[in-house]
Amino acid sequence: MCCAARGVIQTVAYFFIFKILNMYLSNYKALCFALSILFVFSACRKEDDVPEPAEPQEFGTFDLVFDNVYGDGELSLVGTDDENFDYVNGNNQDFNITLLGYYITKIELTGPNGEYYADEMATSADPDEVKGFYHVLESDANSRTIRLNEVPAGKYDRVNFTIGVDADAVSEGATGGVLDPAEGGWLWNWDAGYIGFAFEGRSPASPAEATQWAPENAVQLHIGGWKDLPDNPSMVNNVKRNSIPFPSSVSVGERLEPNAHIEMNLLTMIAGPHATVDFSTTFSVHAPALGSEIAKNLATAFTVDHVHQ
Amino acid sequence: MRKITFSIPEFYGWPTHLLVGGLLCLLLAGCRSDDQVEPLPAPDDPYAFVAPANFPPATYTFDNNPVSEAGFRLGKRLFFDPILSLDNTVSCNSCHNQSLAFADFPLHPVSIGVGGATGTRNAPQLVNLAFRREFFWDGGATHLDFVPLNAIENPVEMQEEIGRVIDKLNADPEYSGLFGEVFGQNRINTPQLLHALSQFMALMISNQSLYDQHLAGEYSLEPAEARGLALFETHCQGCHSGILLTDESYRNNGLDSSFTDVGRELITAYEGDRGKFMVPSLRNVALTSPYMHNARFNSLQAVLDHYSDGMVDSPSLDPTFRREDGRLGIPLSETEKSDLIAFLKTLTDRNFTNNPLFFKEQ
Repeated sequence: MCCAARGVIQTVAYFFIFKILNMYLSNYKALCFALSILFVFSACRKEDDVPEPAEPQEFGTFDLVFDNVYGDGELSLVGTDDENFDYVNGNNQDFNITLLGYYITKIELTGPNGEYYADEMATSADPDEVKGFYHVLESDANSRTIRLNEVPAGKYDRVNFTIGVDADAVSEGATGGVLDPAEGGWLWNWDAGYIGFAFEGRSPASPAEATQWAPENAVQLHIGGWKDLPDNPSMVNNVKRNSIPFPSSVSVGERLEPNAHIEMNLLTMIAGPHATVDFSTTFSVHAPALGSEIAKNLATAFTVDHVHQ
Repeated sequence: MRKITFSIPEFYGWPTHLLVGGLLCLLLAGCRSDDQVEPLPAPDDPYAFVAPANFPPATYTFDNNPVSEAGFRLGKRLFFDPILSLDNTVSCNSCHNQSLAFADFPLHPVSIGVGGATGTRNAPQLVNLAFRREFFWDGGATHLDFVPLNAIENPVEMQEEIGRVIDKLNADPEYSGLFGEVFGQNRINTPQLLHALSQFMALMISNQSLYDQHLAGEYSLEPAEARGLALFETHCQGCHSGILLTDESYRNNGLDSSFTDVGRELITAYEGDRGKFMVPSLRNVALTSPYMHNARFNSLQAVLDHYSDGMVDSPSLDPTFRREDGRLGIPLSETEKSDLIAFLKTLTDRNFTNNPLFFKEQ
């Protein structure tokens, strides 16, 4: 506050001085007076610029590795024309998987002794300046490992992260990198915000007739919606934040390369505690409210399977 | 002419001009290091975003995307360029014409897209967008940057995929140069495109109508206009409120009893919002015929006839329109309507619709 107030006073003083400069020679006393005021403020601002001496701190990396699974088994994608249906949902309906992914954002690590790391978040039109948004895609192995840099050395036993892109980012407007719709970003335009979690596949249980929004036998579950409106309880915010303990604590340090393997179980998403999806009726979810019950399954779909020291 | 005489005064034994020079150097050097003192834009810089003093705070995120002359002109070029559409036939300007406060032509009650496809709603005017919280008749976009994406990708408007637009722009050497100049990156991407368009739209400020001059004490309303203003304050200002002349709420104003276009319910998935649409700003309203989301009325007279005698009931009808005697709408005599129309015409801002800043350059 003090700095802001001084900034204002300084601005006013500048204005005053440049007015007076016009009268420089005939009114030098006023000029000297104004300059002295300014000098005082300029001088005292300097104190703010002195950085706090930083304590030497050791840093290391930490990798979050996302493994998508289905029940007790592995999970793999097939093409949209594949006629094999290798998975069975909670309603005994066969299906396959053609697309699976989600945004992971706002990652934090915490430890038993107050260790704390928060991944930097930044939006920008410049993709190189966009920080902290990860688009984890089953189709892209590289996207499934998130490397956290500059993690303060210490023990960590918990990870917190957001699944989806929340209001903080949406309210910043158009952003590049993994949020750029021309680069594969999952931006919904008609209800502008991002799809946080998406699963697509095909199932003989889904209608054989194509609809306006879904091809034949399609299953498309797009979980989006980020708005909370106090005066409108029907607005659905499907952005979820998870806090998951590690089975054992992990050390971060300069010569260490620890990681945590996070499992996302698709079975929990489509047959979890809050929603068991019937593909004959729920096969085309493209709006926040339609996905709200499925989104609640996000809370338990992610677990830390194991850590590597 | 006044003759200036000067002597060298002494100050602590130092010649004052040296002292003054030294102090000036000190202060200029001293203040470079802090970023808290923003240079105030010169008032005559047409490319500076300057919020009118009586407007609410700007909603647009200028921190991410400050307006520059080059950015504004790039946005303008894009606004007029059909390259944004599937077959290079439709531009933003096709449905948003400056002479109509960037509303659509009366001959286009709903927007006309690629191949002559017709839209479902009347294209709104584009004014004072940097101050708005939500956009479109249903409020589906909450940030100005995301607005053009809807027109580009809508199958009955520009019918183009954003990825293809970006590819076309990158393949165009002229655009590559212009984008590079504004954003300093090697490759054009979506946020650059949307930021350039937002820079252009953010400066579309309409605040120089006769009504604004009246508020500033620079224009005396004609008697009919003054009577119309009094009626407006009594009957209309509850929704068309504030200096933007909208409260940005969603309301059902009795156009239909059943709805082919459910309006706000599309976004909220709440049945109580069925048939509600955003209260439009009335700035430049005399220029933006036809009226309502579905272009139902061709004249202000027809709009007022609707409010006085034409409303139909439905569950979500705004309670404002339910009168004690059980009738619907706003009681207005023909004289009162004529006075209201006289007032509504004072909301026309010819300085805005004639401002060369927004003219196409070529």
